[in-house]
Amino acid sequence: MSDHHLRNTGERSLSRRALLTGSLGVGIVAAGVTSSGVDAASRIGAGARLAAATHPAKTVHLAGTDGWVSMPAGSPPDAPFYPDTLAPDPFDTYVFGFRDVTGMTAQQVAAQRGKAQISAPMLAFDEEDDITITLTNLGLLVRPDLFDGHTLHWHGFVNAIPLFDGVPELSLAVPVGRDFSYFYRPHDAGTYMYHCHFEDVEHVQMGMTGMVFIRPAQNRSPLPGDPPGTKYAYNDNDGTTKYDREFAYMITELWSAAHYRDAHIQVSDWTDYDPSFWLLNGRGYPDTLQPGGDPLSTAAGRLQYQPISSLVRCNAGDRVLLRLSNLGYQNHAMTVDNIDLTVIAKDAALLKGRDGTRNYIVTNTVDVGPGESRDVIFVAPGPGEYLLYDRNYSYLANGGGPGYGGMMTKILVGAPGTYPAQPAANA
Amino acid sequence: MTTIGKLRTRFAERRVTVALSLTALLLAGVPAMSRATAATSEGLECASGSPTFNLTARDGYVSTPDGNSLYMWSYGTSSGKFQLPGPTLCVTSGDKVTVILHNTLPEETSIVFPGQRGVKADGDPAQPQLNGTGGMTSMVQVADANDGSVTYEFTAGSPGTYLYESGTDVNKQVQMGLYGALVVRPAGHPDRVNDRADSKFNTDHEYVFLLSEVDPDLHLAVERHDPVDWSAYQARYYMINGRSMPDTLAPNHASWLPNQPYGALVHIKPYDASTNPDPAVIRYLNAGSVNYPFHPHGSDERVVNIDGQALAGSGAEDLSYLKYDIDVQPGQSVDAVMDWRDVEHWNASTNPIPTTIPAITDQLLVGPDTWFSESPYLGTKNALPTNITDNNECGEYYHVAHSHALQQATNYGATFGGMMTVFRIDPPAGCPAN
Repeated sequence: MSDHHLRNTGERSLSRRALLTGSLGVGIVAAGVTSSGVDAASRIGAGARLAAATHPAKTVHLAGTDGWVSMPAGSPPDAPFYPDTLAPDPFDTYVFGFRDVTGMTAQQVAAQRGKAQISAPMLAFDEEDDITITLTNLGLLVRPDLFDGHTLHWHGFVNAIPLFDGVPELSLAVPVGRDFSYFYRPHDAGTYMYHCHFEDVEHVQMGMTGMVFIRPAQNRSPLPGDPPGTKYAYNDNDGTTKYDREFAYMITELWSAAHYRDAHIQVSDWTDYDPSFWLLNGRGYPDTLQPGGDPLSTAAGRLQYQPISSLVRCNAGDRVLLRLSNLGYQNHAMTVDNIDLTVIAKDAALLKGRDGTRNYIVTNTVDVGPGESRDVIFVAPGPGEYLLYDRNYSYLANGGGPGYGGMMTKILVGAPGTYPAQPAANA
Repeated sequence: MTTIGKLRTRFAERRVTVALSLTALLLAGVPAMSRATAATSEGLECASGSPTFNLTARDGYVSTPDGNSLYMWSYGTSSGKFQLPGPTLCVTSGDKVTVILHNTLPEETSIVFPGQRGVKADGDPAQPQLNGTGGMTSMVQVADANDGSVTYEFTAGSPGTYLYESGTDVNKQVQMGLYGALVVRPAGHPDRVNDRADSKFNTDHEYVFLLSEVDPDLHLAVERHDPVDWSAYQARYYMINGRSMPDTLAPNHASWLPNQPYGALVHIKPYDASTNPDPAVIRYLNAGSVNYPFHPHGSDERVVNIDGQALAGSGAEDLSYLKYDIDVQPGQSVDAVMDWRDVEHWNASTNPIPTTIPAITDQLLVGPDTWFSESPYLGTKNALPTNITDNNECGEYYHVAHSHALQQATNYGATFGGMMTVFRIDPPAGCPAN
């Protein structure tokens, strides 16, 4: 699909192979010819070579499309909005979302149309990486009448270039059937987000929301006494952000009526916002406890397109990092009973004054507003089960039904040695 | 959701409004900003007469970008007409401040000054007013309906930003628009937010963002003297300084917004250690009933003051912090300093962005106009397709800043409106026209 359009527009094709092998360096940059005119002739320069030499090129390929997901089993019906009668079995809710299609052929990418996931793939990079994320707009399978663009907004990143900031009114959007490569070079570690900014109130609510972690340079040269491979959340210079395991939470609400109306060719008045489900990583409790999955596999059944687990598993004494990000439209008070939480950062900024004064906050409830993030560290206590949940109890329900649901998950603590080293976030 | 059908209907109406507003901005606003009147055409504007202010509570109308007209109550200066919000009162800490309130409204009203101590009303301590059976009728002494008046006096307190607002029938009267900003500057240092040297800012780039919301049905009921049904309250318009996006971008005193004199466009140049060392300051105030999580794109802001108190330890330690989203609570004030730093200094010939520049041009997906320069490089402006209206002057950057409770960043549900504005970053040398 993308190769086709590149030929059509007369742009030199940026080969998929080059992207996948991570070789988006001097060669590609030097050869690149664009139709933007003025800048094209002079793209070869010492600056580019230097940059390529000192800033590892990292590439990711995302696709934006629509799809179907499942709210927790047993949620009460809310006719006609939930469950959606258009939904193919075993799903019940219409969404928009991103998919990670890195490494796929053009045909494989095109085949992901109508197979969005929520929440979006978690992305992790190092400080000083040269990141290029190519976004392909696959269009909407259920709504061929719509020609919505998609974009990628780097939420919280400073020094952004408007062209790559993803606000269509201030730069560009990716039309259906086309690709756009977003560039960013991060210098500041922390917990960030990305989301589509095209008709943002709709596309964000529909599910085009994900998390980005930027890992600190301090990981590459650990503090004296810390072994190679030590992980820090920030360049703290004192080891206070060191962690053994990390778990990340994209916090959102889901308004069934709006999702239904998008599937059924109706419009919503967004100021009527009245969510029905409260989600961690796109799932409501108890689905939050299920393991992570692969959207290319049907093994997870109705959770195939909600592949991110929220279950915390750690050993007694582990230092556990929680990354909390809110791209819902309500405040959430994330709470853990029987464990002290230390807030080390807000909005990807370590809580230290300009004079170095440490200002961490010890608490058991962490308020996260819409668009905000928090980094929280706790030391795992003795073996047992602990709950992580929103202290607004009205959000601990699925569609207003009985029992526990919504924004809740568990922290399972085993005896030392129970769980092996964590291979990836949320694993 | 973008369809052909919608482009002809709701979406198109909004876009026409945007296009008209922007055309007006180009014709009237930008030239005005480029002349010597710049100091009063954007940014904070203080009411005259400090430290004595005459305010008149009165009614009037404001306009919204979707063409609606809202009946409001607010404060004007005694000689002036209705405006929303009330005039910005600027004083210095320690000043003896006098505020004389005249009331032309059909019911009693008053002013409370949250954060100020020792407020007096007509010479007596300001205090709750009770009726014969002990029920409270007002938080403080009132100006009677239909031409009453009352005089408040206080000594300006800790440096920072405060609301002043109605203390009578507060739920209704504050919703109707009876609020304004009070800025208290530290004595001897008008270029600081508080008494700390590290709160210094560029006085040419000082902004108040007074955040609020409107339920138009409630305002219609008040206008028609109908009962107000609070159980049906539902805000539809969200505002900065009494305006919604894109009206927030228009300069102060834009002729087409006669009752909404205060803009919210932040207009700066990149930080430079020698030529532009001091940050801008944005003074956030929440006059509404819910949190407004305000998210600036492209730059963190450093929170240095909350509710008129410096973020400092008992030993003067710096407890300020950076944020990319400032969640302002009802009644709260947050003072944040911000600059925009060109970290990379990308340059098409000497330091090109190490990626292939995408070749997509504007596709009319979001309307017939753009702020985009058609180049990623600050200060470079390329040609646009002729069917796109060009709002970019000289390759300056524009970053949006808005509530991230995204239903608040709409005009009655229509996206890219409401509680939203734009930060404009000029090239270091400015635009040639400036």
